[in-house]
Amino acid sequence: MEIPYNSTARPDTGLYNGKVGIWLFLASEVMLFGALFSAYVLLRVGAEPGNWSMGLMSKEVGAFNTLILIASSATIVLAWVSLKLKDWNGYRKWKIATVVFASMFLIVKWGYEWPAKFTHYDVTFVDDKAAETVFAEVLNKDSYNDECQKHHKEIWSARYNIDGKDWGSVDTKDKPLDGYIVGYYTENENGEREHHKVGQAFGIYFWSHAFAWRHDKRNDGRTTGAKRDTFREKGVVAVEIEPAHGTWDKHTDKHALVTDRRYAKAGDGQASDAGGHGHAITIETSQISRVSSYEPAHSTFFAVYYTLTGLHALHVFGGILVMLYHLMPISRRMYESDPDRFTNRIEITGLFWHFVDLVWIFLFPILYLF
Amino acid sequence: MADEHNAEWYENTFKRMIYWVGGVLIAGTAITYAIDKWGVAEKFGLLTAVIFGLTVATIKAATVIVIFMHLKWDWKFKTISLTLISTVLFFIGMMWLTVGSEVKTYESNDGKPGRIDNTWKHGEHAIGINKPAEIEPPKE
Repeated sequence: MEIPYNSTARPDTGLYNGKVGIWLFLASEVMLFGALFSAYVLLRVGAEPGNWSMGLMSKEVGAFNTLILIASSATIVLAWVSLKLKDWNGYRKWKIATVVFASMFLIVKWGYEWPAKFTHYDVTFVDDKAAETVFAEVLNKDSYNDECQKHHKEIWSARYNIDGKDWGSVDTKDKPLDGYIVGYYTENENGEREHHKVGQAFGIYFWSHAFAWRHDKRNDGRTTGAKRDTFREKGVVAVEIEPAHGTWDKHTDKHALVTDRRYAKAGDGQASDAGGHGHAITIETSQISRVSSYEPAHSTFFAVYYTLTGLHALHVFGGILVMLYHLMPISRRMYESDPDRFTNRIEITGLFWHFVDLVWIFLFPILYLF
Repeated sequence: MADEHNAEWYENTFKRMIYWVGGVLIAGTAITYAIDKWGVAEKFGLLTAVIFGLTVATIKAATVIVIFMHLKWDWKFKTISLTLISTVLFFIGMMWLTVGSEVKTYESNDGKPGRIDNTWKHGEHAIGINKPAEIEPPKE
């Protein structure tokens, strides 16, 4: 039995079967992402002062990924147009370009952006005094004086509160110092301190062996119900933090390390701040209330960020699989047996891909820019 | 596509449109990024920045939907969809006539969810009528 309107459009709707299907699917996708966007709006509007940490995002990376996805959106239409013009080679060329762009998007997202966040830490403090001591040291000032506060406000506002209105309503202890864990100290049985270096993982500069470490003061004394606490597991009594480059070092006389010297090379015995270039500071665990990488548990913003971008990235991944299928020999055979139907399939894939692009068009400004 | 086009149209007209839309999308991204770097939020406030960013995003999205997803030419599908959407909007409008008139609005609501209980309660608008009996707390 032949199914009607498989390749040709129904006269009353102007759509063939597959196209009705994809639009219904996209309608359900709109509801899925719509719910998450609504959740984003409510969580953002209801966030406590200084808790919406979207200033920590790299805008350049977001913009780059947007351009890649735009390019892929254009190439997938060109692939479909090539089929309309009965040009298989043109189709292959544009389709491969689309897969390449899509893969680049995922490599940036899953290979760079996310791992870099899991090795970037925020440290908050048990009290204002401890925080002020650390910030004075980080900004290379004698004390937490007016100048130091001014610089601190500038840095904090750019990241946590763009108009700077909430500066006064958040305690100094709750304004995080961000940076990278380059070493830590433990105590042996004799009470002597032992220094441990934290090196690069896999020789990649933004990957550290301190990957998604966590510490929370609230876990102290807990015997049951405690969350995973890396500091407790390792017996960390003090941690060596290198404040984020391009942020904290703008207001100091000390020079920042070049990025590839950020971590000591694993096992080479070189201290992370060897040669006097580094600006790593040691913070006692007793001064710290919380250490968290930019993982989902870091804050509401990052929970939303990983949910939205993760779901979106899964769509990109799914799209790549479908597009690869359309480049396989089996697809060529289908094109030869029924070119119109195959062309329709490519159109449908394109509609899905444009939807993925549309979602990102909105994700870019709300997660990276404003 | 509902409107059928010949090979020449795809080759000459549609391809040119694709490049134009690509250009608009790239320009939109560049403008949003540049304006953000320039510090629109610091200078004009966060709300202005958000409105600007989402307006540009909407324009970009519209070009993708109209040209890349070729809704411009799927006029039958467009008509059907708009009719369906209109019924939903009509339903919401009619519901608002009944429910909306009873929703109590608070002047003191600072816009943050969870701060104030503004749950709608039946009959609350009619002061003194159907008012639930007040229960006194137990005396210690």
